[in-house]
Amino acid sequence: MHNFKYGVLVILCAGLAACGTVETMAPTAAPSAVATLPADALIGKWGIASYREEKDRVRTERMARSFCGRSPYTITKGPTDGVMMHVADDTKQYELALKRSRDGKTYLGFATPPGDPQDREIISMTDKEVIMRYVDPDANTRYGTFIYVRC
Amino acid sequence: MINTVAGKTIAASLLLFGMLSPSFAHAQAASAAAQRETMDIGDEPGRISTEEATIKSGPFARQLVFFRSNEPPGTLVIHTSERFLYVVMPNNRALRYGIGVGREGFTWSGLVKITRKAEWPDWTPPPEMIARQPYLPRFMAGGPGNPMGARAMYLGSTVYRIHGTNQPETIGQSISSGCFRLANGDVIDLYSRAAVGAKVVIRHSAQL
Repeated sequence: MHNFKYGVLVILCAGLAACGTVETMAPTAAPSAVATLPADALIGKWGIASYREEKDRVRTERMARSFCGRSPYTITKGPTDGVMMHVADDTKQYELALKRSRDGKTYLGFATPPGDPQDREIISMTDKEVIMRYVDPDANTRYGTFIYVRC
Repeated sequence: MINTVAGKTIAASLLLFGMLSPSFAHAQAASAAAQRETMDIGDEPGRISTEEATIKSGPFARQLVFFRSNEPPGTLVIHTSERFLYVVMPNNRALRYGIGVGREGFTWSGLVKITRKAEWPDWTPPPEMIARQPYLPRFMAGGPGNPMGARAMYLGSTVYRIHGTNQPETIGQSISSGCFRLANGDVIDLYSRAAVGAKVVIRHSAQL
């Protein structure tokens, strides 16, 4: 996993110490090259739940809301423009940014081009609810689609 | 009846010798259920196992065996020490499945009934798992990555279940928190044979 600073270090490492090919590192653009959106709307406490089939979406949303009192997920502001959140299968929190791709899709992830395998794709987003899924097909299959309901 | 091994082997012995009534057992189960709001199956989400996954060889493969019992056909008998679940059949026969059981301190014995069955059941990670893996959803609707697996049979009013698993390699091991897990293909087979209301006898032989 990377945060913004680590991403910069990796890129510098690739260029200066030849510890990676240019081709390999090319998709990992510098943070400044990635256009990000304000992520403040994500800050707060959320009830989170996941589903795989559309028929389960409504009750999953209901279950997500029910966890606001018991076990909310807290998203805080990051050191720069992003928010502090977890990525799949990692207990550490990282600063993640909202990114818009050329085809109009919105992603949440590291300072990499939109649609990176470690990103989440935002399916829909309102003040009260965010629906997103992991871009990585394996993580998406394992965890399904997440519903975040604002507490 | 719920008897954890820790300090509860006497009750297990009473059950084995028929000295503990089902009604008493039921009352204890309800008490145990009240103490725990969520099921802790000691499993990990995010692994995938299909409906076709079965144990294909060795002692934990599903097989018809000789089984002398006074229990009527259709009864499920679980031997936690041996990691076997038997479906009693006529003529001293039983269909035997390999199972995963509760880890030390989480095994139990008792007499319960199947109160409900569910296909691709939902899963609610217990609070301690959320503490360890805060990125988990607090609720996961049923599906292939769900630790509950393809089917679940709910035992009495307890928090314990017979269910599938997304980790069939754990069959034969004791790593759960008291649930009984089968490979998905095997739990689907069992699901088709076990009726709601069926008697389930859980036996645990104390290790000397």
